[in-house]
Amino acid sequence: MGKMGKLHLLNALHMEGVNVVAAADKSEKNRKSVENYHVKTYDDYRELIDSERLDAVIVSLPNFLKREGVIYAAERKLDIFLDKPLSRNLAEAREIVQKVEEEKVRLMVGVNYRYFPSVQKLKNDLDDGKVGDVFIATSDLVLNGPFSHPLVPTPVPDWWLDKELSGGGAFLDLGFHLTDILIWLFGDMQLAYSHLGYNLRLPVEDEATAVLKCKGKGPTCIVNVGWFSKSIFPDFNFRINAHGTAGFASTDCYAPRSMRAHAIKEGTLNLLRRVSRRKLHYLSYTYYYSSFYTILELFFESLNKGTGFPVDWRDQLKAMEIVDSVYGEHEGK
Amino acid sequence: MTSLKSKSFSEEDLVSAIRRVVVSSGFCFKNNIKSVVVKPNLCYYWDCSTGETTDPRVVAAVIDFLRSELKNDVRISVAEADASAMKTKYSFDVLGYREMCHRKQVDLVNLCEGDIENVNVSVKDKELVLPVNKLLLQADLVINVPKLKMHNLTGVTCAFKNMFGAIAKPRKFSYHSILSYAIVGVNKLVRSDLTIVDGIVARGRHPKRLGVIMAADDPLANDFVAARIMGFNPRRVEHLSLAAREHVWETNKIEVVEDGIRLSEVKKSFPSYNHMMHRFSWNLQLRLLRLYGRIVGDVLPPVLED
Repeated sequence: MGKMGKLHLLNALHMEGVNVVAAADKSEKNRKSVENYHVKTYDDYRELIDSERLDAVIVSLPNFLKREGVIYAAERKLDIFLDKPLSRNLAEAREIVQKVEEEKVRLMVGVNYRYFPSVQKLKNDLDDGKVGDVFIATSDLVLNGPFSHPLVPTPVPDWWLDKELSGGGAFLDLGFHLTDILIWLFGDMQLAYSHLGYNLRLPVEDEATAVLKCKGKGPTCIVNVGWFSKSIFPDFNFRINAHGTAGFASTDCYAPRSMRAHAIKEGTLNLLRRVSRRKLHYLSYTYYYSSFYTILELFFESLNKGTGFPVDWRDQLKAMEIVDSVYGEHEGK
Repeated sequence: MTSLKSKSFSEEDLVSAIRRVVVSSGFCFKNNIKSVVVKPNLCYYWDCSTGETTDPRVVAAVIDFLRSELKNDVRISVAEADASAMKTKYSFDVLGYREMCHRKQVDLVNLCEGDIENVNVSVKDKELVLPVNKLLLQADLVINVPKLKMHNLTGVTCAFKNMFGAIAKPRKFSYHSILSYAIVGVNKLVRSDLTIVDGIVARGRHPKRLGVIMAADDPLANDFVAARIMGFNPRRVEHLSLAAREHVWETNKIEVVEDGIRLSEVKKSFPSYNHMMHRFSWNLQLRLLRLYGRIVGDVLPPVLED
């Protein structure tokens, strides 16, 4: 349970109708920090799953442990929220979804980028036909990647930079998000061209470009991702642009111009919500992190109501097929 | 100090600039130099174009310059220590140092590995024990190649702060409560014989291509000048004033030799910002955020935890 696992835990603790039973982490330091929230901890997730009565699990493991973790939970008939990407490669992704189907448990992948307010608004505009038929869509996501610098400096975990353990670099990490959104917006895609860059001289790519083509009628899409750019929270270099026959739409048009002004506005609104005893919009002041709350809340809402998940893992399996095609093109080069 | 006029300078231009500033600084190589340690600033994985880390081309030019001045059998090592968030096993690759050192056939050393000695040092009223690699303690010549940049905690980071990075302990974050003392302490233990500042891309509120190279035979005098460039009164920069009070270096008679560029021009071009206001504003934002979290009951992302 790294930073993402802890974020999911904190979010779940704030959700109505969710009872957080326990958390597991190999690191004693991480376990202690979680115990501050009066959450029972284990040093092995298998022991946690076998010892507690659970309805669902949040799997926030490094890529090389995802298959094992999901299969273990699925065999014990637990519904699963899984951090993106679906797995480190297509073969493991297929094993995961096969097991989920065999065991008849439900799986939802945490593709939180779909839940940025700017992406939701873009989707609405496209669905409403505001830009006409889209012929070209471009998407960018360029950040620090694993080299982000938290307030208390911590070194990058080694698995991130080991291709065997991570499965890939910037394209798997960030390209997966963008590919998932493009599939969600425009339908199934296939790879037309790809480029992987190794500017940082690491075993995994730090820069990637992919050109995707809709399988049916739909736009040609470009995915640009990178790990090479110094960006410090709340900087966020992400956008999707859709160029259509009636105009264009961009997430940039819907994103806050100033993240600080946005934080003040949302913080004040939440304060008023607290005073008037209305439901808070958790993490909305951060813009970026609220999407993690939203998607996890939707997962639990669907579980509680017994309805279908708003995110279908078939889309993420398609995204994994694109990822696999990109790496396949460059294998051995 | 000197400037590289062209943005597309060659390796020869850089070696020539380094030669000029070193000669102007009055530095003289002593006899019988067998081992040289060059200490760049590789504080994190950010490329030299961000102004955060020393440009490997500068270190390559320093190596060429040393080879032209010293005997062939001199052993040159480029050295940096792991930091709280930075592992040299990656940063040497990411920042181009492994390739450069291989090409120049010099050693590339992680100062957190090898023979490390815990050395006592007193700074003002504090007794410190700092782990230092023997490579640095036993070197005949230590060349400090820092960046010309501002720093959130210390305001100025140049030669003195760069040597803090040489402490042979990855979790240097633990020294932050006594940062000025640790900076002065390590500079007492490891004297920078020659400082060559990479101001090709400087960083204040943003990176700026200044194209400046500076050299000094006294790291404190160097940092006094660097502080002036960044808009600081050096005597009000905690670690510099502490170092001056320790009287290990001379700061009363600083002579700046301008070669093709004036100090006032560099100062004017430097993208300075009000460090005190920046720190105040940053700390205020964090406090307000935590207060907001407590009052409203909202989640604080783990990335902002202290």
